[in-house]
Amino acid sequence: MDKKYGVYICTGCGIGDVLDIESLSGVASGEGLPVKTHEFLCGKDGVSVLNKDIEENGINTLIIAACSRRVNFDTFRFPGCIVDRVNIREQVVWSHPRADFPALEEEQKNDGEHFDRVQMLAEDYLRMGMAKVQKIQLPEPYKVENLSRKVLVIGGGITGISAAMDVAKAGYDVTIVEKENSLGGYASKIRKQLPVNAPYDNLINPVIQSKIREAESFSNITVKTGTMVARIAGQPGEFTVTFKKPGEKIEFDVPYPLPPEMKVDENGKELDADKLNEKYMEYNQGRKDILTLDPDGELYGSVILAAGWRPAEIGGDQYAHLGYGQIPDVVTNHQFEEIAAKGKIVKPSDGKEAKSVVFIQSPGKDQDDRDFEYAGAVTSLVSLKQAKYVREDYADGKAYILYQHMRTPGLSENFYKGIQQDPGIFLTKGQVISVSKNGSGLIVEADNTLLGDKIAVKADMVVLAAGMVPETKFDPVVNLAYRQGPAFRDIGLFNGYSDSNFICFPYETQRTGIYAAGGIRRSMTMEEAIEDASGAALKAIQCLESVNRGVSVHPRSGDMTFPDFFFQRCTQCKRCTEECPFGALDDDAKGTPKPNPTRCRRCGTCMGACPERIIGFADYNIDSIGSMVKSIWVPSSDDYYEPPMRIIGLVCENDAYPALDIAGLNKLSYSADVRFIPVRCLGSVNVIWIKDALAQGMDGVFLLGCKHGDDYQCHFVKGSELANIRMQKIGDALASLALETERVAQFEIAIDEYDKIPQIVNDFVDSVVAMGPNPFKGF
Amino acid sequence: MAETYLVEPDLGFIEEIGAMGGEDVKKCFQCATCSVACPISPDIKPFPRKEMIAASWGLKDKLVGNLDIWLCHNCGDCSSRCPRDAKPGDVLGAVRAYAIKAYAAPKFIANAMDDPRKLPFLFGIPALLFILVGFITGLLDFTPELNHYGKIAHGEFFSTWLVDIFMIPASIWTVAIFALGIKRFLADIHQNALKEGKTDKQSINPVEFVKSLITVVPKILRHDKFNECTENTERSTQHMMVLFAFIGLFIVTGIFFVVLYVFQIHGPYSQLNPVKWLANISGVALVIGSAMMIKTRMSKTDQVSTYKDWFLLWLVFAVGVSGMLAEMTRLADMAVSTYTIYFIHMVCVFSLFVYLPFTKLAHLVYRTVAMTYAEYANRGF
Repeated sequence: MDKKYGVYICTGCGIGDVLDIESLSGVASGEGLPVKTHEFLCGKDGVSVLNKDIEENGINTLIIAACSRRVNFDTFRFPGCIVDRVNIREQVVWSHPRADFPALEEEQKNDGEHFDRVQMLAEDYLRMGMAKVQKIQLPEPYKVENLSRKVLVIGGGITGISAAMDVAKAGYDVTIVEKENSLGGYASKIRKQLPVNAPYDNLINPVIQSKIREAESFSNITVKTGTMVARIAGQPGEFTVTFKKPGEKIEFDVPYPLPPEMKVDENGKELDADKLNEKYMEYNQGRKDILTLDPDGELYGSVILAAGWRPAEIGGDQYAHLGYGQIPDVVTNHQFEEIAAKGKIVKPSDGKEAKSVVFIQSPGKDQDDRDFEYAGAVTSLVSLKQAKYVREDYADGKAYILYQHMRTPGLSENFYKGIQQDPGIFLTKGQVISVSKNGSGLIVEADNTLLGDKIAVKADMVVLAAGMVPETKFDPVVNLAYRQGPAFRDIGLFNGYSDSNFICFPYETQRTGIYAAGGIRRSMTMEEAIEDASGAALKAIQCLESVNRGVSVHPRSGDMTFPDFFFQRCTQCKRCTEECPFGALDDDAKGTPKPNPTRCRRCGTCMGACPERIIGFADYNIDSIGSMVKSIWVPSSDDYYEPPMRIIGLVCENDAYPALDIAGLNKLSYSADVRFIPVRCLGSVNVIWIKDALAQGMDGVFLLGCKHGDDYQCHFVKGSELANIRMQKIGDALASLALETERVAQFEIAIDEYDKIPQIVNDFVDSVVAMGPNPFKGF
Repeated sequence: MAETYLVEPDLGFIEEIGAMGGEDVKKCFQCATCSVACPISPDIKPFPRKEMIAASWGLKDKLVGNLDIWLCHNCGDCSSRCPRDAKPGDVLGAVRAYAIKAYAAPKFIANAMDDPRKLPFLFGIPALLFILVGFITGLLDFTPELNHYGKIAHGEFFSTWLVDIFMIPASIWTVAIFALGIKRFLADIHQNALKEGKTDKQSINPVEFVKSLITVVPKILRHDKFNECTENTERSTQHMMVLFAFIGLFIVTGIFFVVLYVFQIHGPYSQLNPVKWLANISGVALVIGSAMMIKTRMSKTDQVSTYKDWFLLWLVFAVGVSGMLAEMTRLADMAVSTYTIYFIHMVCVFSLFVYLPFTKLAHLVYRTVAMTYAEYANRGF
């Protein structure tokens, strides 16, 4: 498109009081761009000025210097136009009050000694905006060729059935695939279940059979029992799915990537591409490569993973004091449920009545107060449920629950209250010391109980609160034909549960288009699983309805851009394929990446990774950011006796940029020598920008982004962590330029930590001032 | 470390506690707000949190012989602050009721006290006995004459001999039952205190114990502990009225007993007699105090009131009212009315006495012993 530029400066919200608007306008008019100012640009009159320019003067590229792009988004959205918002309100005038940064006196102007830092800041931001719009394009949507609007549900338990019905009710076709020969899963193997409706205070009969009947009444639900997924190839909107019978071996079984030790020769040197491919084919003999699509495969748009869980095993020395495995009447809650489902509670050892049952929630002894692995809140609720079984079966029955944590979240508190009313159910916090034989019965000893003593309880049976291990812990289940491998990437934080972030992004896995629900996501009750199913169903639909419009699903919902590759210059280094947090890129036998745009979340991690800088987005690329960097004026001693420092802050637009805005909103003041450039994710930061900035005489560069590590807050899981690794590596390059490595730094900030902004910024500026100006300045 | 305690819940006990007013005990989730809220609970091993779990687990052995249940004055500070509405105050009340029953003998009377259907027998039997014995001995004169002053005298109808034929054995009976109960009670609370670390004494020294009693009695009379409560402060006043009324009437009875048997002076005595003043003041205080207690209980919907509570309150009220009415009708020369009311009064007084070890009024003895023990054992109460 032929760009016709227009620059608009708003003087409202205090901007006109602080800045020399005439001089600011001069920055644009000096470049030959038309400039208009308005005292209230977001008002009706102001917007009509813009609309008039677009309609009558053919302006299609607008640079609006006013408030942050995070506010008035819809006001300044003009279809068919490129719009850049230059933030001179929150990040210039509000955060740099004249009280701290006085305006120049008349005699100070142009004296070669004094300068107005705030004015300089605003003018740089305007230049950066003007530079950026020259380098970006309007995005065009990516559309898949064979869009399918069908949803595949893996797992026919209570979660899968609920999810399928939710999807079907919304009018989409859905297929349930279940590896067993009938639907129902665990929910069909229990005596009674936890409540799913108000008043949530007592056991109910299992709801699964009525759910199955209801699901069977839908014409748009297809059920495939005795079937599993051999592979899912392709990308959201056009997944090609191959089914098979459990245990069957077929050529479309998913291939696995080579383990690291097979990627090197006997001397530990990495094998070349041909050799690697040869080994890979050998390793996966009898299986087609991921890029070969099954001609008989079925097309699906998105997938709901509801493969459920397995009861955790309890064993090993750390649990020896509980007698499990040695004493037959010590069982897990799962085994107890099996007994209860068959009839009255009886002892496994002799089939006699078990009238006194102790439920142990936490291993105790030398352990800390931890519960058993994979317990969550469910084991607490299950113990309450199973305690009630004992009371249902025997009028003189007694059930003891020894816990370190009694977790009854939300309305399940009502269930706790209800069960607690039973006179024969006894609860105490306590540390279990031992379970031992006592004649034909058992005796359980516990310490630090609420009864104040070390206590002993006579029991006929002891039940241990084993947790729920997600099926994905044992098997990829989804069997993705992705170069990064068939399973979700294990980032070592979720114990094998399939999720990308419990709190911020429930249901979303690390693979776009595949949404997890139920026990696969965390240990949960059936009531929670039913609710979870709805969440995943909505996500799966959101995926279909985003892919069909050619926009990103999440977290950049509605983003129409996607990474574009300039393949002629690709060196097949595979960094993009390997570093993509979402496995969006596959590569061929030679290592050339094959993009799958609908798998992509548009974070730009590939762009940050690419050493050849051949990856970019229509409105965000190496050149657009690079040009912004280059447009910043770096004053030298030729300009001023003591020129100010010039520092760049590359800030994550998800958390750090909003934090900066909020700091401005709260009138927190910080150095005016830093120029902030928003980036999609720190993972998208390409080191070339930093090198260019330093080569240009800038005195320092810092990255401001999300926390990484165990409590990471990165929207793209790995971005800030990858940036951190890259920043460590950039040190060598700086050293070769004889620059201090401390000139480049990375800081973490959360969206609510706006109050830390001044200290982070000012401390870095101070440290750069202490190092002195960049020796390249002025060259 | 304390020795291991073998937990043996008694489901029947939980049910009984529930029936006696502790039906909310199972709602407790052991947050211990009650122990913190209680203004009179000691700092070391405070109640009633531990009593709540013992009760909800049916651990009778930890409760019946437990000193702390008697230290509680049932003021309700804990119940009004309980986040679960488990009403610890009422639960402890129920446990006390259970304990009274446990230390009282014979058991059939204790059981009859719990059963509203037995009520006619509880009062009918003494009434019948009075009539029977009175008729046989002639000490009950159904055609009484005026006394030698020409006034109505209750003694002409219901001989003082007949009164004492019943009242003296009744007193002995009550004292004996209490004596047996207290012996077991004191041994039990001492054992329990030793086991739970609530005492610094290994054995009970009688002299020291009596010294403690002397220290404690004024505190009881002043209602020191009752006055520390913040809820239901009006109950302290009511309780004090009734207690002092009983003490006053006890003194009056004692004096007149001596006057009658030693000086051979028969009643009724002059209204100008200072002892008579004390009698009248005490009688009025008993009526007003017990009436206020009844009113308070009736207006309290958040507090559990059981049959046992009502039994005692109405009995005390009946004693007071019948006594005052008997006197007033006597002075008004209403012969038939006053003799009838006097007869009722005698039945009520006799019942109050005979059933004392089985009613809630037994707290007079058990709480006094418990508070004395607490003082003796340095419980920090």
